[in-house]
Amino acid sequence: MSKPAPLTKSRYFPAILGLGSFAAFVLVVEFLVYADVLNRFIVPPPSEVLAAFPRVIMQEHVLSRFVLTASEALAASVLVTIFGIAGGVLLYQFNLLRLATETWVAAVAAAPLVLMYPLYLVIFGRNATTIVMMGFTAGLAPIILKTLEGLVGTRRVLINVGKSFNLTRSQQFWKILFPAALPTIFVGMRLGLIFALINIVGVEYLINFGGLGQLINELAERFDLAGTYAAICFVILVSIIVFMLTERLERWLRPAG
Amino acid sequence: MAVVAMPTGRDSVPAARAAEPILTVDGIVKRFETPDGVLTAVDDVSLSVLPGEFFSVIGPSGCGKSTLFNIIGGLLDGYDGSVRVAGELVHGPHPSIGMIFQEESTFPWRSVIDNIAFPLEIAGLPKTERYDRARHFVALVGLDGFERRFPAELSGGMRQRVSMARTLAAQPKIMLMDEPFAALDEQTRLLLGDKVLQIQQELKQTTLLITHNITEAVQLSDRIMVMTYRPGKVKRIVDIDLPRPRTSEIVSSEAFGRYVAQIWNDLREEATRGMHDDESRKRRGAPS
Amino acid sequence: MAETGRLTAPAAYAPSWMREHPVTALRIAIIITVLTGWELLARSGWLYRDVVPSLLSIGRALYETLSDPTFYLHLTTTFYEIGLAMVIGGLSGLAVGILIGGSKLMQHAYEPFLYYLGPCPKIIFFPVMIMWFGVGPGSKIAMGAISCFFPVALNVAGGMREIDKVLIRVGRSFRANTWQMVTKIYMPAMRHPIINGMRLGLGVCLIGTLLAETKLSNRGIGFLVIQSYTLFNMPQMYSLLIVLFVIAIGANALIGRLGGLDTIRRT
Repeated sequence: MSKPAPLTKSRYFPAILGLGSFAAFVLVVEFLVYADVLNRFIVPPPSEVLAAFPRVIMQEHVLSRFVLTASEALAASVLVTIFGIAGGVLLYQFNLLRLATETWVAAVAAAPLVLMYPLYLVIFGRNATTIVMMGFTAGLAPIILKTLEGLVGTRRVLINVGKSFNLTRSQQFWKILFPAALPTIFVGMRLGLIFALINIVGVEYLINFGGLGQLINELAERFDLAGTYAAICFVILVSIIVFMLTERLERWLRPAG
Repeated sequence: MAVVAMPTGRDSVPAARAAEPILTVDGIVKRFETPDGVLTAVDDVSLSVLPGEFFSVIGPSGCGKSTLFNIIGGLLDGYDGSVRVAGELVHGPHPSIGMIFQEESTFPWRSVIDNIAFPLEIAGLPKTERYDRARHFVALVGLDGFERRFPAELSGGMRQRVSMARTLAAQPKIMLMDEPFAALDEQTRLLLGDKVLQIQQELKQTTLLITHNITEAVQLSDRIMVMTYRPGKVKRIVDIDLPRPRTSEIVSSEAFGRYVAQIWNDLREEATRGMHDDESRKRRGAPS
Repeated sequence: MAETGRLTAPAAYAPSWMREHPVTALRIAIIITVLTGWELLARSGWLYRDVVPSLLSIGRALYETLSDPTFYLHLTTTFYEIGLAMVIGGLSGLAVGILIGGSKLMQHAYEPFLYYLGPCPKIIFFPVMIMWFGVGPGSKIAMGAISCFFPVALNVAGGMREIDKVLIRVGRSFRANTWQMVTKIYMPAMRHPIINGMRLGLGVCLIGTLLAETKLSNRGIGFLVIQSYTLFNMPQMYSLLIVLFVIAIGANALIGRLGGLDTIRRT
């Protein structure tokens, strides 16, 4: 290419356009607030929200809240992974059980389970157990279904290879089925983690207990407008980072092919 | 606007056929920008089709046939040269030109009759009129009794007949077909060729067929234009002087064989060039 | 349940219908086991009183709830909120999805926003929605609409890219105008992603709206649930949750059935 490629042809143009329009949007909001078109008691100027970030982070113990939320999510994920994979394997091993209950599990996966949080409050009390159990409940069905999908989707020929080597039932499972299903199981684990995280932050906010979710609730109840917006932005940032990281992890763990 | 008879500049057109052409394509050049530089897909292609004529364009893969198809149909822009229908310069899709595509192109969510009525619906015809007209074309392609069926319930050959009826229902002056039988097996292809011949006979439908199949081209055409491999140029225009009405039985005649051999002679050179080109590109590791 | 291993080959002494319909038999067995276990737990008094109420009291509460006219008032409120949220969120999701899916540039520039905002917990926007739309149904509708917007937009954008390109060329060759292209080609070609997006959207819309109701409201099913919590009326809470799940699963199945009404699936 003799002449420089125009900006619109650049590989980065779409990303620049996307971030640029976001920045423009923020600037327009800022302007509209100062022009009194937007009520600053409903929409604080973005510059104030930005300024509130350090204050919220320093004064509201964001780090310890983050650790709390993260450990709740971790606990829920571990539970979800153990019980979810076990459940999927169980349904795969007993075909009759699968035929009888697979539609039920799918229905549960589609049901608004998080609405049971008042029930969990009664059972477990207003503490971290309720939050972890809620995350566990929300993440369980998807990973059962994904594990089952992975096992069922194992290519017939791989199973026949196993049979041709006279593998025992347990060898057949550990050497053939499980490794073949692993990529799909990872997808399920990631789904389970995300479901758990969404519900954990949500329930923290709803029952005003624990980590990042509660932070939003407290700031909103104090009518700290800029702080509330800043906290929401922070939570969004955290969930995006977690989402991206798990995506990377999944790609890294997935065996080639 | 005065109709200017475009001299084709090729003496293969017999004087007896010197009627006013209905479709004139003149000096088409189309270049694409690719990562490897500029690729000339079609290079100075001119042709003219007479009313009621069956004209075929044949060439090896990569000769720019489909590019030519899209240019004449008005789906592709940015070329040099001109496309005229009855002397009128054409830009973009034109009601006089009906296109039949190589790929499966029936709407899976519409029944046979609704597929065929589609262009009439787009044109804003009242409901009863468009169904009356669509029914006529259902019968023409021999799909009576299948009006309420959906494409998924039909065979590939039947679906391609639906596409054909849909294009004919718009009553175009010129039917433009891009390898319409490419996805079908050989027997279905021959039988469908019969159907096309019969329809063309009945409607006196001017047709421009784009194909890489020699038998198909000779079976159907009055004239065949052979194109060269990359850049796509006009290599020769061959008159097919076989009696009409024809059927697929003609495939076994001696004259038919001679035409096939003659065109294969022209094509072999081009196809070989294309194959070598493809192989050397694969050797360099570039995707074909 | 303990003998699942044996259930794959029904015992010889089982009645013939059980051998012919082992799946149904197992389902009935599971249901009976769960219900019996529940009832035993309820009567044993091992757990705090009323956390596991007896089946009879749940049944009675369900009957009372369903025969109470004020319940239907709350149900109407919730339905109204969800309905409006689905219309607003669904239509804007459809429009945004078509715009973003329609061009490579738009896709690369804006789809990452949707993709990464999609899985964020939406309920945290509720305090802001209260400030914008008040404590009434407005803020609940907004919550539902935000929740429903993302799955619809993402599914439609994906669907746009998967439309068979030749169908678009057919439309253009017959000189369809933009409106005709959208209504006669894009929309029907995307019927499956649209329906799937609506189904996912309805699920999260329900959650968004009802959670908002449990947080701050004086009307709707969500309000009734949290009221039964504050009054410690466990049977009523169970009955409300049962009603909610039946509605959610029913609506989900209904939309799924809508997608099944399509002849292409007969291939």
